[in-house]
Amino acid sequence: MGRLNRDAVIAIVLLMACGILFWSTFSIRVPDYGQLKPSTWPRVILAALSFLSVLYLVQSIRRGVADGTAETGDKSDDEPGPAPGLVGWLVYWRNPIWCFGLFFVYLATLPLLGSLIGGLAFVFTLMGVMGGWAPRNMALHALLALITVGGMWSIFTFGLGVLLPPGEIFSVY
Amino acid sequence: MIIENVMAAFAEITTIKTLLLMLVGVAGGLIAGAIPGFTIAMAVVLTLPFTFGMPPAQGLATMVSVLVGGLSGGLMAGILTGIPGTPSSVATTFDGFPMARRGQPGLALGIGVWSSFCGGIISAILLVTLSPQLARVGLEFNPWDYFMLVVFALTITASLSGRHLIKGLIAGVVGLLVRTVGEDEAVGMARFDFGSEALLSGFDFIAVLIGLFAFSQLLRDVRDPVAARKSLTEKGTVQVRIEHRAAIREVVKRWTIVLRSSLIGVFTGILPGAGGSIANILAYDQAKKASRHPEEFGTGIPDGIIAPESSNNAVEGGALITLMALGIPGDVTAAVMLGALLIHDVIPSPTFIAEEPVLAYSIFISFFLATFMMLGLQSFMLRIFVLVTKVRMYMLAAIILGFCGIGVFAINNVESDLWTLLWFGILGFIMRQLGFPLAPMILGVVLGNIAELNLARAMAITTDISPFFTRPWSLFFLIIAVFSAIFPIYQAQMGKRKWTLFYMPAACFAVSIPLFMMGGIPRPIIAAIVIATGAYILWRRARNGWRLDAEPGQNYAEGG
Repeated sequence: MGRLNRDAVIAIVLLMACGILFWSTFSIRVPDYGQLKPSTWPRVILAALSFLSVLYLVQSIRRGVADGTAETGDKSDDEPGPAPGLVGWLVYWRNPIWCFGLFFVYLATLPLLGSLIGGLAFVFTLMGVMGGWAPRNMALHALLALITVGGMWSIFTFGLGVLLPPGEIFSVY
Repeated sequence: MIIENVMAAFAEITTIKTLLLMLVGVAGGLIAGAIPGFTIAMAVVLTLPFTFGMPPAQGLATMVSVLVGGLSGGLMAGILTGIPGTPSSVATTFDGFPMARRGQPGLALGIGVWSSFCGGIISAILLVTLSPQLARVGLEFNPWDYFMLVVFALTITASLSGRHLIKGLIAGVVGLLVRTVGEDEAVGMARFDFGSEALLSGFDFIAVLIGLFAFSQLLRDVRDPVAARKSLTEKGTVQVRIEHRAAIREVVKRWTIVLRSSLIGVFTGILPGAGGSIANILAYDQAKKASRHPEEFGTGIPDGIIAPESSNNAVEGGALITLMALGIPGDVTAAVMLGALLIHDVIPSPTFIAEEPVLAYSIFISFFLATFMMLGLQSFMLRIFVLVTKVRMYMLAAIILGFCGIGVFAINNVESDLWTLLWFGILGFIMRQLGFPLAPMILGVVLGNIAELNLARAMAITTDISPFFTRPWSLFFLIIAVFSAIFPIYQAQMGKRKWTLFYMPAACFAVSIPLFMMGGIPRPIIAAIVIATGAYILWRRARNGWRLDAEPGQNYAEGG
C-alpha cells in the first residue's frame, strides 16, 4: 500500500474520532421523560460526519499520493512551504507557535499575574518575538502595550464594571 | 402603535451616549474595513465584549454601526492601494484603483462612498418593509420546517465553498457537534463532558466564534515573519480630498445600476451563507453584462465602482432581514449579531418584531443613522487610514490577541472561556491550513441549538418523521438544500456533462411542488411561473439539440 496523502490521513483521524465519540454516546444518561433522547442528536451528527468522512477518504484515495500534500488551505501555490525536518517546520511556523505558546503561558499565569500585568507582558513579549528586540522597537512595543492593554483594562474595569482577574502577586484591583 | 414604537426606539437611540458610541463604532468599522486581512466579521466579533454592559438597544446600535462602517471601509484600501480591505470590496478595486491611478482618487472615493450610502439606505428601507412580511411567513413555520431551514442554511454555506464542498459540509457538521458538548438544552443531561467541569457547562459560543475566526485569522496574517514586519500596505497612500459633488452627479446618472446592485446585495444577504464577498462580484458582473460598453470595465469607469459598492452595503440589510424575521443568521457577521442578541436575552424569531418592537425598530433606526454617519465620517477617517497603513501587522496581531485575552473573559467572567478561545483558535488555524472553510463551522455552532431544539419539539409532537418530507415548507427547504449541495458539482461539470442540461429545469420543477402544496393564491402562481421557467429552459436546450457547447459557462470574476 502506498503512502497516504494528507487528506486521507485527516479523513481517517475524523473517522476514529467519530468512533470514539459514538462509543461515548452510550454513556449519556437517558431520562424517563422527553421523546428525543439526549444521545440521539449527537448520534445523528456523528453518523453524518462519518458518512462525509468516508466520502472524503474515498475522494482523497482516488486522487492518490501524486500531489503529496493534497489540497492546501490558505497557502498559495507560489508560497514556499516549510523546509524538510522538524527544525524547518518549526522555523516555518514559528510566529503562530509563539502566539499560541505565549497565549498559553498568559492563561496559565493568569491567576498569578492577573489580566493587567499578564496582558501587558503577553503583548510586549509577543511584539518582541515577532518584531525584534532592538532598543527602539522595545520602547515602541512597551508604549503600545501600555496604551492598548492599559486602555482596554481601564475600559472594562472602570467603564463597563467587569471584574477582571486581579492576580495573586500583583493584586491591582 | 407602530408610530409609538418607532418614537420609543428613536428616543432610545438618540441619546448622546448611544450616538457617541455609534460614531465610535462607525469610525472603528471604517478603519477595520480598510485594513487588508481584517474582516468586518472580526471587527464586529471584537466589539461584542464591549457591549455586554450596555442596554440591548445601545449595544446592538454600536454593533450595527461597526458593521455599517466596516462595509464601507474596504473601499478606501481598495481604491487607494489596489488591495481590497475586505473580501466584499474585491470588485471595487477592478475600476476604483485604475481610476485613482489615472489621477482621480477623490472622484473614485466619492463614487464609492455615495454608492455605499445609497446601497445602505435602499437595504435599510427593505429591511424595515420586508422583515415584518417575512416574519409573517415565518409564523407558518413549525419545528420540522425550522429544522430543515437549518439544514438548508448549512448546506448552502458549505456549497459556497466551491470545490471544497465535502470539507465545507464536514466543517458545518463539526460545528453542530461542538454545540452538543455539555448539558443538552432539552432535558439537561450531560454529554461529552468526560468528567470535566469546564466541558459540562459547554463551550461559550462567542468564545468559540472569536477563537475560530479572529484568532486563527490573525495567526494566518503573521505566519510569514517577513510579511508580518511590513506595514499593512507597502504601497504608499496619498492624502486626497473626496470629490462629493462630482461623485453625486455620477451616481445619480447611474441610478439604475445603484438600484439593481442594491437589490442583488439584499437578495444575496437574505440567502443564508452568501455574503458581501459574493454580492460585490455578482453585481459587478451584472453591471458589465448590462452595459453598452462592457469592454471599458476594468479601465476605471464609475459603473465598475458603483455596482460593487452599492451591493456590498446592501448585503447586511438582507442578512438582518433573515436574522430578525426568522432568527437564522445569513452570514458570519449576522451570526455574531445573533450572539449579541442572545447575550441580551433576546431570541430572534418570527415573533421577535411583534414581541420586541422597540428593540427591533432600534436596530432599524441605528442601521439608518449609521449609514448617514458613515457618509459624514468617511472624509475624516481617510486621514486616519493613511496613518493606519503605517502600522505593522505583527503589532496589530499582538494587540488584538491581547484584547481577546481580556475581552473574552468579560463574557461570563470565567477563565474557561479563555481556554475555549485558545483551543478553538488552534483548531481554526489548523482547519484553515488544511483547507476547511470556517464559515460553515461557525454557522454550525450558531445553529446547532436551534436545530436540536426544533428536532426535540418535532419529536415531542409526533415520533413520525414523515412531516419532514411532507410539510410544504420543510419539503421546500429540503429540496433547495439538495440542489444547493449539488450546485458546485453542476458548476464544475457545466458544459462537459449532459446531465447538467437538466439541472436547472429539474430544480424548477422540484421547487414548484411544495409551492403548490402551500395553497392560497400567490404561491401556486409563483409555482406556475417557476414551472414555466423550467419548461422554457428545457425547450431552449431541446431546440439547440442538447448541445453542451450552446450553454455558456458563467464567469463572475471577469473584472480586473
